Amino acid sequence: MDTKQLLSDARARFNHNSTKAHLKDKYSSKLIVADQGGLWKATPEIIGFLSSSTDEFVVLVDTFENPVMVNRITLHDVLYKTYNEVMFLWFSEWKELEGKR
Amino acid sequence: MSRGALLFAFNSPKYNYYEMAVYTAKRINHFLGLPVTIVTDESSIPNTVTYEFDNTIIVSPDKTNIRDHSIWINKGRYQAYDLSPYDETLLLDTDYMVNSDTLLKTFDLSTDFACHDTTSFLMHPGVPQEILSAYSYKTLWATVIMFRKTLRAKQIFECLEMVQNNYDHYANIHSFIGGLFRNDYALTLALRIANGHADRIEDIIPWNLVHVGKNTSVYKNTAVELESEYTVMFDNWQRGKIRKEYTIVKDTDFHVMNKDNFMELIA
Repeated sequence: MDTKQLLSDARARFNHNSTKAHLKDKYSSKLIVADQGGLWKATPEIIGFLSSSTDEFVVLVDTFENPVMVNRITLHDVLYKTYNEVMFLWFSEWKELEGKR
Repeated sequence: MSRGALLFAFNSPKYNYYEMAVYTAKRINHFLGLPVTIVTDESSIPNTVTYEFDNTIIVSPDKTNIRDHSIWINKGRYQAYDLSPYDETLLLDTDYMVNSDTLLKTFDLSTDFACHDTTSFLMHPGVPQEILSAYSYKTLWATVIMFRKTLRAKQIFECLEMVQNNYDHYANIHSFIGGLFRNDYALTLALRIANGHADRIEDIIPWNLVHVGKNTSVYKNTAVELESEYTVMFDNWQRGKIRKEYTIVKDTDFHVMNKDNFMELIA
């Protein structure tokens, strides 16, 4: 990179919208988990449902729209752990970047 | 059950794809923990080999594809099924920058063949998805393919060969520009044919393929060889002037469409 290019890039502005979109893409992929023969996205909705049910086994529609019978507690624990880990990473990376100008 | 990655790399007059493959292979080893097999030709292998691939498979490339007045050796990808020494294979473009272990999740998919159907561009959110033509299908991407050695996967690759051999015919039917062969288009048609002219959601990798597109350049943030943090610079044209914008990405895999930029990254 030459000096002219360096000076030009030094005046660059941080693009918050692109960053936000990129982080959403990045961490959405990390929320996907394969478990008990299905592919799941760890979301508050599914975790909430698994928490509220009392049955040992439940049937849920997975990411590929197939009904899958799962052990409720096992899937809950996997998704809950994934969700928390990923969301904290997402949050901390966003916090780190949102102050940039 | 063996697992590994497969890269096709044939040097063109303009770009050293073998060198790109070495760089990508090191990243695959590091971030995915997978061995890498290269499919190449004699003339692409340098005199001094600095990196030992798991396997080096020599083939005669088809050099009949021309892009921008230069040879683009991208045909023959259908051979991946027969050439891969692995039960489960990740077939990647050599300009795919692996920066995380995300691709290992493709092996968790219950299907025997998976690829991307949705892309996103760094610094360019909301770009419409590519379609073969106004009256045809949404493009599938051959940049990242996971396949297992099954009869169905074999049929898909055989279909890919058939589409390659009759590319102009399919271009005519689907109203896209023939002549220049694109693996993405051939894959789009082959997978659909193999699936009985239907979409099969299970064959789609359930996250976006990230591209670094035009007017966008990627720079390493440090000189560390296996760096996974980059500054992405975008030339945003507004009223005839360029406004420079940037973001920082880390631990994110992406496909560098600009080969010159990729060569700068590996230098």
